[in-house]
Formats: sequence, structure tokens, C-alpha cells
Amino acid sequence: MAQSIDIQGGGLFQIAEPEAPSKRRRKPGKAIGIDLGTTHSLVAIAPNGAAPRVLADAEGQTLLHSVVSYAGGEVVVGRAARAVAVEHPEQVLSSVKRFMGRGPKDIDFTHPYRLADDAQVVRLDVADPGQPPRYVSPVEVSARILEVLRDRAEHELDDDVSGAVITVPAYFDEAQRQATKDAGRIAGLEVFRLLAEPTAAALAYGLDRQGRGEHGEGSFAVYDLGGGTFDISILRLRAGVFQVLATSGDSALGGDDFDRALAGHLRELAKLSAPSPAQQQELMLAARAAKEALSDAEVTSVTLERCELGPTQVTRAQLDALILPLVKRTIKVSKAALSDAGVDKRELDGVVLVGGSTRVPLVRKLVEQAFGREPLADIDPDKVVAYGAAIQADILSGSEREGVTLLDVVPLSLGLETMGGIVEKIIPRNATIPISARQVFTNYSEKQTGMTVHVVQGERELADDCRSLARFELRGIPRLPPSMARVEITFELDADALLTVTARELMTGVKQSIEVKPTYGLSGDEVDELVMDSLDHAREDFAARNLAEARVEMGRVMLALRTAIDEVGSIEGMLDPEEHAQILAALVECEAVMQQSEHADPINKAREQLEKRSEPFARRRMERALRAGMAGKSLAEIESALAEEQALDERRGAHAAEVIEPQ
Amino acid sequence: MTVAAASLSTSDGGLEPFDPALDHFARLGLDRAWRVDRNALEDGYLDRSRRYHPDRHAGADAATRRAALEHSAALNEAYQVLRDRVRRAEYLVKLGGVDLDSSDPQTGAPHPEQSFLIEMIERRERLEAVSSGGTEALEQLRDEIEAELEQVFDAGVAALERGDTRAAAAELVHRRYLQRFNDEVGALLDELEAGSG
Repeated sequence: MAQSIDIQGGGLFQIAEPEAPSKRRRKPGKAIGIDLGTTHSLVAIAPNGAAPRVLADAEGQTLLHSVVSYAGGEVVVGRAARAVAVEHPEQVLSSVKRFMGRGPKDIDFTHPYRLADDAQVVRLDVADPGQPPRYVSPVEVSARILEVLRDRAEHELDDDVSGAVITVPAYFDEAQRQATKDAGRIAGLEVFRLLAEPTAAALAYGLDRQGRGEHGEGSFAVYDLGGGTFDISILRLRAGVFQVLATSGDSALGGDDFDRALAGHLRELAKLSAPSPAQQQELMLAARAAKEALSDAEVTSVTLERCELGPTQVTRAQLDALILPLVKRTIKVSKAALSDAGVDKRELDGVVLVGGSTRVPLVRKLVEQAFGREPLADIDPDKVVAYGAAIQADILSGSEREGVTLLDVVPLSLGLETMGGIVEKIIPRNATIPISARQVFTNYSEKQTGMTVHVVQGERELADDCRSLARFELRGIPRLPPSMARVEITFELDADALLTVTARELMTGVKQSIEVKPTYGLSGDEVDELVMDSLDHAREDFAARNLAEARVEMGRVMLALRTAIDEVGSIEGMLDPEEHAQILAALVECEAVMQQSEHADPINKAREQLEKRSEPFARRRMERALRAGMAGKSLAEIESALAEEQALDERRGAHAAEVIEPQ
Repeated sequence: MTVAAASLSTSDGGLEPFDPALDHFARLGLDRAWRVDRNALEDGYLDRSRRYHPDRHAGADAATRRAALEHSAALNEAYQVLRDRVRRAEYLVKLGGVDLDSSDPQTGAPHPEQSFLIEMIERRERLEAVSSGGTEALEQLRDEIEAELEQVFDAGVAALERGDTRAAAAELVHRRYLQRFNDEVGALLDELEAGSG
């Protein structure tokens, strides 16, 4: 009676019940920070306010190559996987981060892998040649990397890890973030938070500078140029609060593009119009090596055997000329971020460089020019992100770290598609989270009783150019003259950037709330399945919980039915003897199934049959209650009477649950 | 360090319930006025954010976490509005009973008078005329509009400060028209720059 608006999910989206809060206790000092990078990953800890440190493996290595090998059907992670990459180009997966949260149509870059013919999901076939396909998702592959880091931390802590903060590029959208979070879950980690990489770096830097100025105040720009992504964030530390003022970037611009530009130049020198895959591989490797050499030297020499190019000099000036347009793009984005933040470059206290590609001299030079100061690089740019993640993990584990609170922003605007495919922005980019915002929509004709709600993310004007996050059908809008019906849609982003959309029809006050979970093609069930695969006993636990729930639910229904028969079963016309006997027989059968079955399914099936059989009786009871109530009572009173009835049923159910505790 | 953990759990019970009725100024502990002390605004916001941010109550019960979320979201909203001088002025007009985002004939944005609309049409004609004349002419037009934006805004603020909400609303509506026009000029300039660069 109250549900006149209903929302139905569709497309790539799931509508999830709000997640129950974690039952796991947050143990201070047992949380870890993970930098899950495109080329390498790290884990760090900073327990109970201690300075962060990066953890090493048994051989003293801190950087774990983000490479997973499935060659020979065996899972190998890290250096050993990379070592066999040339022999098994399709079974050894690297840079899998670029596939995270993406559909096949988003994959517009070249890669050597075999993708499944699937409309929605990226899956990679990692079977050995001649074997039947074996598909893995990028989420699973990332989970394998995370597992290695988790094990490393558990060894170090000599205890279970209570939770983790995992870093993501600031410019990752909701789908990419959700994929990363799921990878954490599959690896058996409770993900306290996904933290933007530049924010993590600034957290690591800013803390070192606490106490400067009147309130320990400082403003920073963090310029983060990795292998495949560029991020810029403007942050401020003041009065113990770290405030992200603006963030921007380009999720498809990085050091790889420098390599590609130089490779193109080398290809011209070698006079190759259509290089073979092997030649292409040689060109890219040589370009990367030359780029790295030119970070220190003014000139280097390149020899390409397969491309038949004799020793050839490449100068830094040549490289600079090739990559100048790319670096300029990052500078333009950086200036826009400063302007978004409302900060003048003269107000900055520091510019922080993060990511391996910031070792390129031209990058340093142009960043210095753009911000009018020499950039800071005194914390190892490879480790600074993991340090920041460890600090935030420590805070979220419940340890009271000296006064640091982090105010993060949403990197891309969230909005709704309106008439004509135009996007109406509801939450603008760089809005500090948590935040809630609402917009009222109205009907265009009296016949309209529903509307499509299409949630998108991005800065473009047309919905087609933005990333589609969710689509819902809103039904049950009362028939009213045009522009009289009012549907208020509220977007609420919590501190984890998890989006909840609430729809409320203002004439009737009817309200529906749902949690929007962007997916990247894996269903919630599939993720659950993967979570279980990774935990030895989880499947059994899950079955046990299902069984317990099935028994509780069955008990509730049986008790409610018995009570109803006792109360009104003898009233004329409510329950004839034949129906009465049938229901009693069904009850006896249910009792037997509940006693004997060790699985949830037969119990649920029996319960459904019982409900079906007793449904006519339930309807007669409802009608009688309504008729009785109608006599001189307002609708509100009837509704409250019915609600009481329902609540009473539930209380009976709760009581029954105690009686039939399994075992 | 166990002391720290204990103090966290006791401090968690202490969040007062969220009051949705507070206006943005009251929420940040400020007087309701167009002139806002920048430091008072920052301190008011950051002090409260430190106290209410959900991260500080991650281990608390569901009701406290809900309250922390509501407090924080409202603080962020209040700060975003009040730190921006234009949004702050428009918000004061709204508190005075005129909502510039609404088309309601009584309480919504007032219609600009005809003379102003005619001026806008003339400006648009001029934009068309100069748009082919290269960046210089466009930049001159932009500079003129920006000067006018400032004038109109100052007039709106002056009206606010003498308590004349209606007059302030009228000026701020003009400002919105000019702002939209200015954005269009800016977009054209960007296009020209991108084309030449």
C-alpha cells in the first residue's frame, strides 16, 4: 500500500541491499596500505602512528612486479612471472590495471592477449596453446597480486591483516574503483578505503611538514605521471585537515606514450612502413631503454637488429621535441586544476612529483616552469604512494593518529540524462565527499506514470559521451496534469564515494531508496563466487548461513500460519475443512523437511509451497481485516492496524527463530 | 597506544543528532551576512569536519555513523556555497525568499526587464560579428563582459547589504545571463586556440 514507486535495475547495474557493516573488529595497528600499480605494486604499514615503511619479500625486494603468469596452468606472481613473459606472451599478464572496470569496447590500445567474445566483460583466455580456454577477469588477476602482498604483510605483522587501503588513480571512475575494491575482497582483504594516488603521496609529504606556518598549513600540487595515467591534485593541509581542493587528469596518457612517440621516430629512421609484431616489440623496447638512458645522458645510441638499423644516435633534444606536445597536455590540465581549486601557483608551498615518468628531464623542467618552483622529489617516487596508503590505513583501523582527517573529492561529475540525451549534473566534479544533492523532476503529460533514470559520470554534455553507471525505471507516479507531479531524486555519496540514489514523489511523500553499485560486467554473485574460491571454508560458512536463514524463515511462516488458524480458522467462511486439512498436512511436511534437511534449498522450496497453499486463506484474512477496519476508520488507521499485524507476525517469527536454532 | 583505542570508542557516543533545519551560516558558526571572514569560514569548516568526518567514526555504531555522514555532507555543502562569493550572494537572496533556481512566479527568479533582454540580443549579434575576426576581438568582448559582470555583481551585493532582496535578485539574474554569455565567449576562444595550436 505504501509502495507506489518502484525502482527496477537494469543493464549493467545491480541494486544491492545496503551492505551490512563489517562484523570484523577493526584492530588498530593491523591495517596495511597497498599501491596497486600498473607496472609494480607495494605494501606498507604505519602501525599506531609510526612512520610508514615498505615491506620486503624474503629476498629483500620491496617492488612486486604487477605481472601474473598462468603458463602451464600454474599461478605465479611477480619477477618469476615476468621472466617467462617472452616465452608465454598470452599466458603472462602485465599492465592488467588498464583493463580494470572496462568493457571490451573500452579496450582501444594494443595488447597481446586473447579476449573472450563477451559483450560486457573483459575476460582473458590464459590457457596454454592447444588447451581448452581458461578465462580470467582482470579483477581476479589483480586479486592474485594483492594476495601476495597480503601474505607478505601477515608474515611481517605475525597476525591477520584487519583491513587495507588500496590506492587508485585519482581519475578512476566509479566502475574502475568498484573493480579494484572487488579485487581486494577476492584477495581476502577488507578494503577500508580506496585512496587517490596523488592524495596518498601528499599525505606522506604533508605529514613530514606538519607544524610549518601558523596552523601547520601548506598547499601542495601533486603531479603524478605513471606508465599509463596522469593525475594532478591540488591539496591543502590546515589545522590537521587534509583537504583535496581539486583533482584532474588524463586516464590515457603516460610514459608508455613517450615510448610510442620515440618508437615511431625510430621506425622512420629504419624506413619501415609495416613492422612485424617482433619488430614492433623491438622498437618499443629500444625506445623505452633510450628514454631511460636520456634521463641522465644527453645522447645515447640505438641499434635495432630485427629492424636492420645500425648504431644510431638519439639525443635528448630529439626526445624532447617528440614528447613536447604530450607533456604540454599535462601542463594544460595542471593549470586547469589550479584554477578549479581557486589557488594561485604563488600560494603553493610545494609541488610533489610522483610516478616513474617524472624522471624525464623535460617533465621536470616544464612542471617547474608551470608552477614557478622546483618540484620536490625527496621521498622515493616509487614508494611515496604506498606510504600515504599505510598512513590512511592506520587512521581507519581506529588508531588515533595525530589529528589528520582527509577530505577527498569526487573526480568526475555525476548526473542524470534528461530529455534529448543532455546531462543534468547533480554532483559536480571536485565536490568534497560525503555530499548529497537533489533535483526535482516533473511529468510532461497526464499519462506519464513512469520515468527512466539514467545515472552517468563524466564532464561531457551528452549522456552518450559520458560513462553510463546505472539505469532505472521509476514507476507509479500518480496521474496528474503536466508539471504537477514532482519526483525528487537525491544523490548521496558517502566517504567511500559509494552512491545511493533516492527517489521521492513529493505529492504523496512516497520514498524509495537504493544503493547503486557500478559493475564492470561481473555480477554480484560472480564476485561472491570468486570471494569464496579464495577462502578455504567460506563456501561451507555460506551454506551454513543459508541453512540457518532458511530455517528461521520457515519457522516464522509456520508459526504465523498456525497462529492465524487458531485465531480465525473457525470463523464461518474463512477456512473450509478440506482446505484446513490440506494446510495442516503441508505444515506437517514442512516440519519434517526442516528436521531432516541439511541444505537450504529443500527448506525454501517447502516454504514456498506452504505459502502458495495458504495464500487464499491469507487473502481472506486480509479482506476481513480491511472490512472490519473500514467501519468508521480512516485509511491511516487501517494502514497502521495492518502494519501492527505485520509487525506482530515478525515478532512471532523472531520468537520462533530462537526456538529452532540449528543443532 | 591502547589508550588511544579506548578514547576513540568513548568519543564515539558523543555526536549530537543532525539538525537539517540549520542554514549554511549557522552550520559553520557564522553570522548571516554577505561579508564573511575568510579565516572564520575556514576554521569553522575544518574544525567541524575534523569532528564529524565519517573516518573518525568508522568503528562506531550505525546511528553514529549515519549522523557523521549527515553532518559531514551538510558541512561540505555549506562550505561549497559560502566560500564562493556568487553562490553566497544567491544563497542570501534565497534565504530572503527568492529562489533563483525556481521558475515559480511568486518565489522564483524575477524576469529580466525587456530593455535588458534587448541588450543581450545586441550582444549576441556582436558576438556573431566578431567571432570570425580572430581571438583579439573576442578577447576584447570578453574583457568588457567581465567588467560588466563585476559591476552587476557589486550592485547586487549593495542591494543585499541594504536589505533589498528583490533588487538583489534582479541584479543576480542579470549576472547569470551575462555569465552564460561569457562562458560562450570563453568556449569560442578555447576552440580558436585549440584550432591554431
